[in-house]
Amino acid sequence: MLEVKRVGKVYEGKVAYRALTDIDLSIEDGEFVAIMGPSGSGKTTLLNMVATIDEPTTGEITIGGQNPHRLKKNELAKFRRRELGFVFQDFNLLHTLTVEENIVLPLTLDGKNVKEMKEKARTVAEKLGIAGIMGKRTFEISGGQAQRAAVARAIIHHPKLLLADEPTGNLDSKSSKDVMELLAALNKNDKMTTLLVTHEAQAASYADRVVFIRDGKLYSEIYRGDSQKGFFQQIIDTLSLLGGNDHDFSSVRL
Amino acid sequence: MTFRQFAFNNVFRNKRLYAAYFLSSLFTVMVFFTFAIFAFHPSFQNSDMNKNVMFGLTVAGGIIYVFSFFFVLYSMSAFLQSRKKEFGLLMIQGMSTQQIRLMVFMENMVIGLFATISGILLGLVFAKLILLLAENVLIFEESLHFYWPLSAVLITFVSFILLFLFISLFVSFILRTRKLVDLIKGDKKPKDEPKASMLLSILAVLLLLGGYGTALYVKGMSVIVAMVPVIVVVIIGTYLLFSQLNVFIIRRLKRNESLFWRNTNMILFSDLAFRMKDNARSFFMVAIISTVAFSAIGALYGTHSYLTKAIVQANPFTYSYHPYDQTENIQKNVQYAKNTIAQNGIDAKQLDMTEMYLPFADKPDGILVLNAKDYNKAAKLLGKKQLDLQAGEAVIAKQSIANLNQNDHADKWMQQSITLTDGKTVKPSRQVEADAYPNVDSYMIVAEETYKKLPKPLKVKHHFVWIASEKNKPEQLRKAGELLQEHYEPGAFFSTDFVLYEIEKGYGPILFIGLFIGIVFFVSAGSFLYFRLFTDLAEDKTKFQAIAKMGLTVPEMKKIVNRQTALLFFAPMAVALIHGAIALTSLSRMFSYNLVRESAMVLTSFLVIQIIYYLIVRFFYVKQIKEVIE
Repeated sequence: MLEVKRVGKVYEGKVAYRALTDIDLSIEDGEFVAIMGPSGSGKTTLLNMVATIDEPTTGEITIGGQNPHRLKKNELAKFRRRELGFVFQDFNLLHTLTVEENIVLPLTLDGKNVKEMKEKARTVAEKLGIAGIMGKRTFEISGGQAQRAAVARAIIHHPKLLLADEPTGNLDSKSSKDVMELLAALNKNDKMTTLLVTHEAQAASYADRVVFIRDGKLYSEIYRGDSQKGFFQQIIDTLSLLGGNDHDFSSVRL
Repeated sequence: MTFRQFAFNNVFRNKRLYAAYFLSSLFTVMVFFTFAIFAFHPSFQNSDMNKNVMFGLTVAGGIIYVFSFFFVLYSMSAFLQSRKKEFGLLMIQGMSTQQIRLMVFMENMVIGLFATISGILLGLVFAKLILLLAENVLIFEESLHFYWPLSAVLITFVSFILLFLFISLFVSFILRTRKLVDLIKGDKKPKDEPKASMLLSILAVLLLLGGYGTALYVKGMSVIVAMVPVIVVVIIGTYLLFSQLNVFIIRRLKRNESLFWRNTNMILFSDLAFRMKDNARSFFMVAIISTVAFSAIGALYGTHSYLTKAIVQANPFTYSYHPYDQTENIQKNVQYAKNTIAQNGIDAKQLDMTEMYLPFADKPDGILVLNAKDYNKAAKLLGKKQLDLQAGEAVIAKQSIANLNQNDHADKWMQQSITLTDGKTVKPSRQVEADAYPNVDSYMIVAEETYKKLPKPLKVKHHFVWIASEKNKPEQLRKAGELLQEHYEPGAFFSTDFVLYEIEKGYGPILFIGLFIGIVFFVSAGSFLYFRLFTDLAEDKTKFQAIAKMGLTVPEMKKIVNRQTALLFFAPMAVALIHGAIALTSLSRMFSYNLVRESAMVLTSFLVIQIIYYLIVRFFYVKQIKEVIE
């Protein structure tokens, strides 16, 4: 489904900075993968390149057999709105729109008809438990609700790949848990391929597999067994091996 | 929600963000419309106002339109700059470049349409005030009544819809979608500092000095020749001054740690450095626009006072009759004037200033000699200084208006002597300023006894003058003046009040247009500064909020904001004042007429307005920031 082949990223500048070196990563259809690593390890850079926000300096990324970086501008725009869903740490909902309008935005951009959009929005909202706040503006809802709305926006068009960048970073522990359970359920029930970048071991423990990055290189990866709790412990252990600074990993929100 | 609904909702639900852009567009429309109301006023259209004035109106309208274009474009691009992140987000959601362009285009048209309509409505209210003002300040024969300005509405509406259409197309076309990652990081990235080069900094100084030097050096008509090159050189110089010197000075200051690291200086300077590029551009714009305003208003005001002053100086009398026909008809003619003046209920003293022309070296017409008694009578009635001549004394009356006359004989005549009928000779003893009886050339005044003994003159001319007392109404004086001036052969009779009135009447519209454009430019300069400041407001709020958490007192915050704002308001102003002063000095050298008083008045009033503007803007800015840190 997603193939990352020998991808490297160098930021040009007064001092060129190598953010990623020769990353190989492949994600199967319906897989839920978390990427972890200390600050500055390059995990968001990797996600941004997968999300077509940034371009790799070397190497190749294919999503569903297509290399989005080779697409023309307009085709890339269409690719984004049809094949990708994106969830951010700070929600990034448009505050000029209502929750419902935010959710249907990718469809609107694609010129779908209103009835179809309404229908899809209703279905997805019911699934995510935000049907009651559809008419509200973004500043009238809580953080957890906002992130659920953002997830709804990310999945309304049934993307091939759902990308989440620290989705629990701005949420309290209850909301974090809700959002992660939501992502896990989407993955399990709808076979939504998901790539998650996170700091938090708790959040990562919902994934099928956790990939660790350090200093722009793959460090190791671990697969989840039967128990989430055991997986969580495994993650913590790998993190302590990984070193970095302890405070990069919040152990509070367990 | 269709795409169109999305774009509209984006505007209507985000009024505050769009408000600044909307208001600036509205303001431009209003200015243009007010001007159009004036230009299309029936009393202008129907009156036999000369072609030049109509042409001037058209050109002025064109200038305002071109200026509006750039002003709207500037506010538009500033507005788009602040929305980078929004565009980035939309692109992640899969918005294509075309869709962003379409959205910007639609937004712009919505705002443009509303701005045009509300600008016209507001303009109607404003126009009533302007017309009232114009009617009272300027002299127009036809009163400027308020009318239903259909053609002005149409012209404004069509012009601005076209303008917004064009700008929308233009902006959506140039709207470059950079790399998505840059858009999302948005304003977190510092803008590049413009590069300062030693060579360009020196060039800036050389250009400015060269421009100033030339402007101050040339005299008379060569001022016009030098004008365009000097303006170009000074404009380039100004741009370099702000883009180079700015950078240079701030870098220097930052390098000096004992200064940079002291108290609040660090915040102030680092901020200036961060916004250097934007600041350089707006400083330049504001300086040039203000210079245009100062020079236009200064020049018009100066020319006006030059014209009127010169006339009053040359004709201090209410009426003056200088008949060509000095024969027996003269008494009859004077009697007519006398009667007309009396019939109009004017209380005026009549004097016969007998001009005697004596033969004199290298002046075929002879030199004018006046009786001191006559002169003093006139001086007394005019409230001017009387001459105190010794018996047998002769003086040369030096003329201040004769300064314009290159061939003034005053000094030569001091050497000459006149042989009187009793055989004695008389020689001028001194030069006096004699403004109670102006003449194109200097002349001689002799004491009465000497006057009687003067040799046979070349000719004698009677010059009748009337000096009206203060209590006469100006309209009466004007009316009688007009009657008389038309009665006699052209040039023989002169009514100062009537001539001044005619000049004011012809000059009024020009002065009005000039003032109007000048004020528009000046207000626009102020708005530029306002936008400059308030685009940074959100950023400043977060910044001060963060610093306040570390312990920044309100007085300290005020100190920083004061300096920052003061610099923004007065750095370009100072340059514009110098530019304006040089331009007006150059103008006065063209006329050979001292415009110091006029220039000082114009420049000082602008400075005062700018200070008031500064105080108001600062008050609101500080208030806004105080809200977030308290």
